[in-house]
Amino acid sequence: MRDYSLFVPEYIAAGAAIAIVAIELIWPRLRKDVLAYLMAAVSLGWLAASLAYLGRDPKEFMGVLVVDDFTTYFRALAAGIVFVTCLLSAQYLRRRTREASEYYGLLLTAGAGMSLMAAARELLTAYLALELLSFSLYILVGFFRRDLKSNEASLKYVLLGGFASAMLLYGISLLYGLTGNTTYDAVAEALANRSGDTDVAAIAAFVLIIAGLGFKVSAVPFHTWAPDAYTGAPVPITAFLSTASKAAGFALILRLFTNAFHTDPEEWRWLVAVVAALTIVFGNLVAIQQTNFRRLIAYSSIGQVGYMLVPVAALGYGDGEIAHAATAALLLHLTGYIISTLAAFSAFQAAYDRTGDDTIPGLRGLAETQPFLAMVITISLFSFAGLPVFAGFATKLFMFQASALPELMWLVGIAVAASFVSLYYYLMVMRQMYLFDPPEGASRFRVTPALWAAAAALMLGTIFVGAYPQPLFDAADGAASALFQEGAAPHQVRER
Amino acid sequence: MGAEHAWLLAAIPAGAFVVLALFGRYLARGGDWLGIAAIATSFALFFPVLADFLSEGDGLGPFTAAVEWTRIGDFSFPMGIFVDPITIVMLAVITTVAFMVNIFSVGYMKGEPRYWWFFAVLQLFAASMILLVLADNLLLLYIAWELVGLCSFLLIGFYWEKRSAVEAAKKAFVTTRIGDVGLLIGIILLWREAGTFNIQEILRLAEEGHFGHTYLLVAMLFIFIGAMGKSAQVPFHVWLPDAMEGPTPVSALIHAATMVVAGVYLVNRMLPAFEVVDETLLVITVVGLVTAILTGFMAFAQTDIKKVLAYSTVGQLGFMFVAAGAGAPEASMFHLMTHAFFKALLFLAAGSVIIGTHHHQDMNELGGLWKRMPITGTTFLIGSLALAGVPPLAGFWSKDEILVVLDKQWGPWAVSLLGFAAILTAFYTTRLFIRTFLGQPRDPHIAEHTTETPPVMTGPLLFLALLSVVSGLVVFHEVGTALGFPGGFGEFVFLPSHGPHGYEFDAAFAGASVVLALLGIFTSGWLYWGGRLDRSTRLAEWQPRLYDMLVNKFYFDELYQAAIDYGILGFSYVVSWFDRYVVNDTGVDGSAQVTGYAGFILKHLQSGRLPHYAMSLALGVVVLAVAGLVMRG
Repeated sequence: MRDYSLFVPEYIAAGAAIAIVAIELIWPRLRKDVLAYLMAAVSLGWLAASLAYLGRDPKEFMGVLVVDDFTTYFRALAAGIVFVTCLLSAQYLRRRTREASEYYGLLLTAGAGMSLMAAARELLTAYLALELLSFSLYILVGFFRRDLKSNEASLKYVLLGGFASAMLLYGISLLYGLTGNTTYDAVAEALANRSGDTDVAAIAAFVLIIAGLGFKVSAVPFHTWAPDAYTGAPVPITAFLSTASKAAGFALILRLFTNAFHTDPEEWRWLVAVVAALTIVFGNLVAIQQTNFRRLIAYSSIGQVGYMLVPVAALGYGDGEIAHAATAALLLHLTGYIISTLAAFSAFQAAYDRTGDDTIPGLRGLAETQPFLAMVITISLFSFAGLPVFAGFATKLFMFQASALPELMWLVGIAVAASFVSLYYYLMVMRQMYLFDPPEGASRFRVTPALWAAAAALMLGTIFVGAYPQPLFDAADGAASALFQEGAAPHQVRER
Repeated sequence: MGAEHAWLLAAIPAGAFVVLALFGRYLARGGDWLGIAAIATSFALFFPVLADFLSEGDGLGPFTAAVEWTRIGDFSFPMGIFVDPITIVMLAVITTVAFMVNIFSVGYMKGEPRYWWFFAVLQLFAASMILLVLADNLLLLYIAWELVGLCSFLLIGFYWEKRSAVEAAKKAFVTTRIGDVGLLIGIILLWREAGTFNIQEILRLAEEGHFGHTYLLVAMLFIFIGAMGKSAQVPFHVWLPDAMEGPTPVSALIHAATMVVAGVYLVNRMLPAFEVVDETLLVITVVGLVTAILTGFMAFAQTDIKKVLAYSTVGQLGFMFVAAGAGAPEASMFHLMTHAFFKALLFLAAGSVIIGTHHHQDMNELGGLWKRMPITGTTFLIGSLALAGVPPLAGFWSKDEILVVLDKQWGPWAVSLLGFAAILTAFYTTRLFIRTFLGQPRDPHIAEHTTETPPVMTGPLLFLALLSVVSGLVVFHEVGTALGFPGGFGEFVFLPSHGPHGYEFDAAFAGASVVLALLGIFTSGWLYWGGRLDRSTRLAEWQPRLYDMLVNKFYFDELYQAAIDYGILGFSYVVSWFDRYVVNDTGVDGSAQVTGYAGFILKHLQSGRLPHYAMSLALGVVVLAVAGLVMRG
């Protein structure tokens, strides 16, 4: 059934994306930070429109998209991330460019792409949504046309992204060959009944699809683009990349794996577990050697993705109940991670606006010149490292608890040990901020109210989620339930 | 107030922390009065909790109260408190020492920068530490465990401006975190089999044989690693002496009386499970013995007052582990309590010396201070005698208890080793006292300007000195009964499986104990009497390599540095090199800027780097696919 009323949030995003370009054409002298605050206001409207769908019965759109609580969860996340990114960009962009409308427009389309990835129930629709997000990001990463770093990063991202898309498409076509269909339900049904002589094709299809999606969330060994893109992109886009892009990837992965692939887990679960282990070990070890803050965050976020792949592997090893718990825990951790990351970037953005230096030593003496920012960064990093009271501890605990199946204990062990190693490189950052004197001539400075408020709110969020995770968990659990409702995952698992 | 409200003891300082952290800098006197008021309230509230605890039934039944923190599907995470005699002892120690240290800090920290912040973190520490001993489940315990570690980190690094202080804070944090990872793994292992984090449930299941023997053995060893890290047992001991970079009241509270005994507390708390796999008891005993003896030697060659006390603390923690390893929580907790009082006293007195001499703490510059600082000197002497184990001071009784239980459990070999450690203790304690307070001042200039500290500092010293004298007496049945306890210490704290037992005075052991103490004291006195160093110098020259080894603390630090440099960092360097030059590059780090805009696309396409990136993707797919086909095909 064609119920066009299901996509009001996307209409808002896309409409505003077009409108803002028009606005800048008509009033070219409008201050660029006004555009940012305008778009921030739009994303609040988008958030409100998304939440209006909360708790309604799931509705399908022609069998390819579905609006349920899971979609709503990611719509709200997308709107929230875009909101914060707009705040981060306001002053940064105003100083650097005279045409900002495309930037904000593309942010909104990227956010819409993310919501659609969460809503997709059909392989090609999912692919298109993913490309909508990717194309917006390719341009955003290279937005400063005169900045070589930004250009180079964008170029690498585009080329490798194309490569990854090709792999994903090839995987999808193999899967189509196997199952004769592309909707998740039909794929699940066909996978459950496929004969044993299609194993090779199935494995190839899963490997290719996991590679394509692994690229999106930057899992090892498909991560190579991330450090360069993180360092070259405009700083707010780095924040966007490390939150929205990963969240969107996991949205797609969760619906795909719980609705389409769950009937044939034996062929992919080991693969996810291996990729998770590689990602955890690799991301955390390489992070130790970094001297650039954004590169450090890139590698640390690669490690975080590794942790998040652990419950995805658990989807394949456990029964429906465990899969449900793992999904909810993953959503919780993802959200906590997003809040902490945005907190770190809000503070970093404020410092960067002042110093223009994104190396770790560039933060030296921050505790003296701006103790508030130093505190926000410290708390975010503590949260990444999984220290109690901050979000990362509780969410990681629940995630590992949900995934602690006998088959995955080795992986959980690796993850716990890696969390310890991660503390080492987070301490390197804190050491610069607290131990060293500020550079010659640096004085105490003020933070713009918007950034200050964003950083403070996100920091409190990090502490709140860590101290009392129940409300957020209930929301995540509600979203996860949508994936496991009656009729959503009805099929028997394939027997070998 | 009932014992079920014991959580208030933690909540009050926690509230004070929030207020101080937010508004401390604007309050009069940095809000020190608020901190003291908060901890004084906790101290005062301890007594109704104790009275309520004793009045219920036989006065030994544990109290529990729990609320649900988070429910995840069918799995709920209740957070609750648990009060039993072990908790009561810990609460007594924490609230008393924290109260005294808060008062003392008013004098000690006077005029320091970030005065308000110091009091704020002190409150957070008190709250976390009380929470740690009240926790009825391992999850809450772990949270509190990390929180006290965080406070310790913040307070060791209190003087940010001093590089050594920040390095020491980092070292403490990282070293204890290694133990914490062990603890966390142990907790996860226990939880996986038991399905609960509740400590009493886990102990019950362990005693019923719910866990496999090897499984429980591994889990308990991991738990013990956590305890070793926190309580700085060899080989984790390296962080504690460095932690002396923190302000001295912090050393007294956190690094002598409370936080570092968390490991001892944990082992005593989980002792029934350790007893099920009794191989672990031997491990605990041996670790304790090795620590007691090694750190006894290490304390020999130190000249910084606080460092001597730090090594002494590590050694005395070893004594407590030895007692726990002998399956005697009563002896272990007893020594924990007496040690908390006399060691806090010694540290605070050292702090008083530091203030009185205007920041000198090296024995080579001090001497003859008793005349200048009579109260500090006298209280330090009381603390020293208690530490050395001279009757009738507190340390004598608790050390004697340990020797008795050790003899029962492991026999003469263990007793003789611990006896040797006791001689070492008496020796370095005497040396410390003589070289600081007796003889002629080594630097007359310093001595001239030395004055006794104000009452706000000597007051806590006198109170703790009193406790150092009398607290040992609770071992006697009559004293316990007079105080309203069900009897002496052994009749209050005991394992359910062992039952209460009264203190038996064993003349042979008591006599031997006194002889050991006197042996150490007289040897040391002969060597250093009057602050003379010629005899000890000759001793050092006689065996220079041995002396070097002591000065360098058996080269533990150097060994670890090498292990980290060549181990983790080396490995990460290799992986990172691989990432850079084999699958990735550092193009953005430089090459882009030196090439022209037009040329760079070509340049980078030809540089072979982008293909490297793509290659890594393709290789990843191929390798995974091949692996899949081999494994499953």
